[in-house]
Amino acid sequence: MTQFPDPIHAGLSRGWKVLGGRYGAIPEKISCDVAIVGSGAGGGITAELLAKAGLQVVIIEEGPLKSSTDFQQKESQAYPQLYQESAARKTQDKAINILQGRCVGGSTTVNWTSSFRTPGETLQFWQQKFFLKDYDADRLAPYFAQAEQRLNMLPWLAPPNENNDLLRRGAARLGIKAAVISRNVKGCWNLGSCGMGCPTNAKQSMLVTTIPVALDLGASLLTETRVHNFEIGNGRVTGLRCGPVQPNGAMDSASATGESTLITARHYVLAGGAINSPAVLLRSGAPDPYQLLGRRTFLHPVVLSAGVFEQPVEAWSGAPQSIYTDHFLHTQPVTGSIGYKLEAPPLHPVIFASLVPGIGKNQHALLQDFPSSHALLALLRDGFHAQAPGGRVHLRGDGSPVLDYPLTDYVMDGARRALLSMAEIQFAAGARQVLPLHEMATPYTRWAQAQTAIHALPMKPMLTKVVSAHVMGGCGMAGHEKQGVTRPDGVHWQLDNLSVHDGSIFPTSIGANPQLSIYGIVNRLAQDLCGRLNGRGTSLI
Amino acid sequence: MKIGVLSAAVIAMAGGAALWVQAGLRNGQLTLAGRGVFRAVGRTVLDGSLPIDGQAQQRALDGFLDRVDALIRALPPHAQDELSQLLATLASAPGRYLVAGVSTDWADASTADLAQGLQGMRISGLALKQQAYAALHDITAAAYFSDAATWPVLGYPGPLQI
Repeated sequence: MTQFPDPIHAGLSRGWKVLGGRYGAIPEKISCDVAIVGSGAGGGITAELLAKAGLQVVIIEEGPLKSSTDFQQKESQAYPQLYQESAARKTQDKAINILQGRCVGGSTTVNWTSSFRTPGETLQFWQQKFFLKDYDADRLAPYFAQAEQRLNMLPWLAPPNENNDLLRRGAARLGIKAAVISRNVKGCWNLGSCGMGCPTNAKQSMLVTTIPVALDLGASLLTETRVHNFEIGNGRVTGLRCGPVQPNGAMDSASATGESTLITARHYVLAGGAINSPAVLLRSGAPDPYQLLGRRTFLHPVVLSAGVFEQPVEAWSGAPQSIYTDHFLHTQPVTGSIGYKLEAPPLHPVIFASLVPGIGKNQHALLQDFPSSHALLALLRDGFHAQAPGGRVHLRGDGSPVLDYPLTDYVMDGARRALLSMAEIQFAAGARQVLPLHEMATPYTRWAQAQTAIHALPMKPMLTKVVSAHVMGGCGMAGHEKQGVTRPDGVHWQLDNLSVHDGSIFPTSIGANPQLSIYGIVNRLAQDLCGRLNGRGTSLI
Repeated sequence: MKIGVLSAAVIAMAGGAALWVQAGLRNGQLTLAGRGVFRAVGRTVLDGSLPIDGQAQQRALDGFLDRVDALIRALPPHAQDELSQLLATLASAPGRYLVAGVSTDWADASTADLAQGLQGMRISGLALKQQAYAALHDITAAAYFSDAATWPVLGYPGPLQI
């Protein structure tokens, strides 16, 4: 029994309009002002702003409504209930494992709270290459500031846990500047279970902030309901079709045979996230005259390095991400060889045992060292070079999406440099052993040995462990129709009454954890949309 | 159910259409054939982490297989289909040999032979074998260590009770 008041249960008692799953069947027809597909970072911000502006909003979410009472800090529950494909969504060649949320609040319910504004060099690149002239830091600043205030984003002032402090200490030894991460938390208990849903409601995810505000203002939420497609006629969206999904993501048999709910609205906002939003448009046969839809999907491909120290590290405990370094994003221009941001990931039993390479007694030796194990990750900044063009979303025969993301030599060269950087930092911090996560690596006990070995590793997909927790692009924005799926104001270039308000609108990867980029940019898009729909101003704070 | 690329490759090498008599999954659950494959893979991947005592090890593997079932139940249909085909391929004699290098029945193979077979898949030049290895390794690790009873092996005390 939890001691924490559950804001979702409280809201349901107040009479929130929630349907789907255990909350009852959804009607055959629904009509509203704005239908929002997805309740994550973009959907949540949009829902709050539109509801505050007096618009009748329906939010359609394919995941379940889970809340603090359900968050038991157990991976065995969190991965199947809160993540896309049980946290095992993979790229087409299986080389990259993707973590994406699938629940009310989307990825914000399961992310690690790291908050960064869109970096200046990313915005400059967008302005120059994608003709997004309004995307400069000064003009976006007030929208970022509103999101930061609304979601209580502040530098983490508590001491970093050892897993993060080792990054700080190792970097300092090498003269590399590391800094403190800002987090969207209020009254955080420093547990470290953010990735399994925050059990204390300290994490200011969409689940406990914008969605409740929208629901209190009369919005409706359909849960465990997937939008199958938009209906399109005469260059406009005329409706959307949705139906129930089973807990494992399979469409209900009724939906499969054509019984589905039709929702009609004045305007539609697609906020399913990268991969999912392009998938809806592909299933809809949406106009795509320049064949851009689903392309330029980015992942910040991640490679990892596991260290073992003499002292306890207990990487499961404490705020998961509190220290970072952008040093390796600035050692070359943004269009040069691929740069990477270094952070430390939290480690819990299932994720640790899955990531640690090898079998049998060798693997057991590594597993036994779990309490003294340290991990670093490198987010590779894809999308800024011709040889990092990202991947392409396709549909399988059953309509589900798959991302084809080939790992090019250019990206894998960056992966090698990142493994070298992380090993050097771990040894500088005092590691007695460092193991780059690569099937042909063995634990190295000295930096010189690791350096030689990493230079000799075949940096191939599958041999190199690559994961992603940041999926971006696929419905990219541009100032010219031939370059973008969406316009700079988020409206689809060919469908006037459809906006895309999620990370799929980014023309490149962000080069930083993306949640605040989505909140801030969608804040502006949604405020402008409100103005066009009913002329009423609205604000997050 | 379309035959996967790996299955097609095995059929071709085995000299014609082999008869896949045993699916790997049925209704999202491991069949006897699928359980046989995972039991052998489990005792090999988890060698060193499993209880040493014979009976305790069998009970641990029984629990492991139940958790593999739970994990599979939560996978989307496309992933269940792929896994079912992979397990059907591995459960068959030609598949077991051509993919995993194992010439005896799964239950009879020594842990050393199984380990050698899995290592071969792990660093194989053939992407299909690497993919098969990754699926077996990751499902095994995730299913086994999702149970709190296994956490003492890792030295993990469990989440803070709040």
